[in-house]
Amino acid sequence: MAESRGMFFKSAVVASYALMLAPVVMVIIISFFRQEIISFPPEGLTMQWYVNAWERREFARGFVTSLQVAAIATAIGVPLGTAAAYALARAKLPGREAISTLLLGPLAVPGVVAGTALYMFYLRAETWLDQDITATLSGLVAAHVLLTIPWTVRLVTASLQGMDRSAEEAAANLGARPPTVFMRVTLPMLRPGVVAAALFSFIQSFENLELTLLLVGPGRTTLPVAMLSYLEFRMDPTLAAVATVQILLVTAMMLITDRFVRLSRVI
Amino acid sequence: MAALVLPAALLVFTLLVAPMALLARISLNHYSPTELMVEAFTAENYIRAVADPYYQQVLATTLGVAFLCTVLTVLLGFPAAYWLARMESNRKSIATILTLLPLLVGNVVRSAGWMALLGNEGGINAALRALHLTSGPLQLLYTPGAVIVGITAVVLPYMVLTLAAVIESIPRQAEEAAANLGATASTVFRRVVLPLSLPGVAAGSVLVFILCMNAYATPLLLGGPQFKMMAPAVYDQFVRGNNWPFGAALAFILLVATLVLTVIGSMALSRRYRG
Repeated sequence: MAESRGMFFKSAVVASYALMLAPVVMVIIISFFRQEIISFPPEGLTMQWYVNAWERREFARGFVTSLQVAAIATAIGVPLGTAAAYALARAKLPGREAISTLLLGPLAVPGVVAGTALYMFYLRAETWLDQDITATLSGLVAAHVLLTIPWTVRLVTASLQGMDRSAEEAAANLGARPPTVFMRVTLPMLRPGVVAAALFSFIQSFENLELTLLLVGPGRTTLPVAMLSYLEFRMDPTLAAVATVQILLVTAMMLITDRFVRLSRVI
Repeated sequence: MAALVLPAALLVFTLLVAPMALLARISLNHYSPTELMVEAFTAENYIRAVADPYYQQVLATTLGVAFLCTVLTVLLGFPAAYWLARMESNRKSIATILTLLPLLVGNVVRSAGWMALLGNEGGINAALRALHLTSGPLQLLYTPGAVIVGITAVVLPYMVLTLAAVIESIPRQAEEAAANLGATASTVFRRVVLPLSLPGVAAGSVLVFILCMNAYATPLLLGGPQFKMMAPAVYDQFVRGNNWPFGAALAFILLVATLVLTVIGSMALSRRYRG
């Protein structure tokens, strides 16, 4: 009896991880298959699809756009989110709870609702300002900054809570002014949290689909949107190669993050 | 120092709160095929969405899939979370990365993986044929089952990580004490581990249910043309239909249905937890 329960437990663990990892592993395997139509076993292995993928303009440009958007959105969102987290933790703020809920809001509102709302808002703003916003880099970046704020606030708040304040107090007692204390003491101590926030923000932006879907236009598409439009017609090794590049990028960023903060502690 | 919160708060207000207020306003407008959107103050879009059998079916499908996937996720995720939470620290880092990786590579990549696994010439059919279990290909892709498996896999990491955090906070000694006093493994689970991790089950289920209700890429790519869930239906109104007021009403129905069920569900779970 106890034996069979142990078996049930083990098979549930194996089934969970198989469900989570099988599709990711499968994409990587398929990207090396020689034949264009997916079938098993492979007729041989090749790297040709990676060249193919890069030569398809929608993927190459989507990749570059996604990198640009993620990098700029992270560069804007992480400082804003860090400043907000610091103020929330240290300043006497009226309505702190409400502000904190507002800042975490982009995580709570479903991407579909936020995405359509933002699309309508952009169209309205275009009429007011007489300027293109949808399908521009700035329009995409603004939307993605929204994604980076809640992650930054969450991760930096967690580091602020775990921080020993005596070093800050010592610096202040020795005559350092508040901005100096922040730049020379607090910020260096927050580094793991800020780095984790930056990497998470980058990944969230890079892989985002729902918020982005209506904001792209011809000639300016992000990689996930380009992949989705392709997949609505077919799945083949070229797409698998593109997806594998995304998997490698995310894995690399996670491993770097893990060196700064133990991922098992921040999530 | 308090002013430091302003830029981020203003940004979220401008790009999230204001757009949602605008979307709410648009949902009360009138749609005419010739003039598209006409300024009005009417509930007709909501009434049409609730009364139309097609959208009733779409909402019912969405609710059914979300419930089923949430239950499956709890059943599968609990053992995995326990395993992860009670792991030695140096291996735990690798296991955490393996749990997070599928979550962070994105839904589109994972849907592509399922398409490669479930297709007629895909991995699973090839394995079944090689084992002589089937003669022809089974239709796995473009079925409701594919969507349920796909969504469960997508949300499972969230459940595992949420539960693992809670299980980790349960002292091992509590389990050991119960076992030393003669409780069997299943009694320890039922009387110690499960009651103490119910807040995690509640939090994880709420998070997962919201994600399931709003799943977009997975039903679109794995469900085939006949299978419709709410999120793709909302986008259809904006991309193909151009009926913005109706699309906005659908988006709010989805949001409200998700919120109401989430609140009811977490209240029911927390009452059980207290009792």
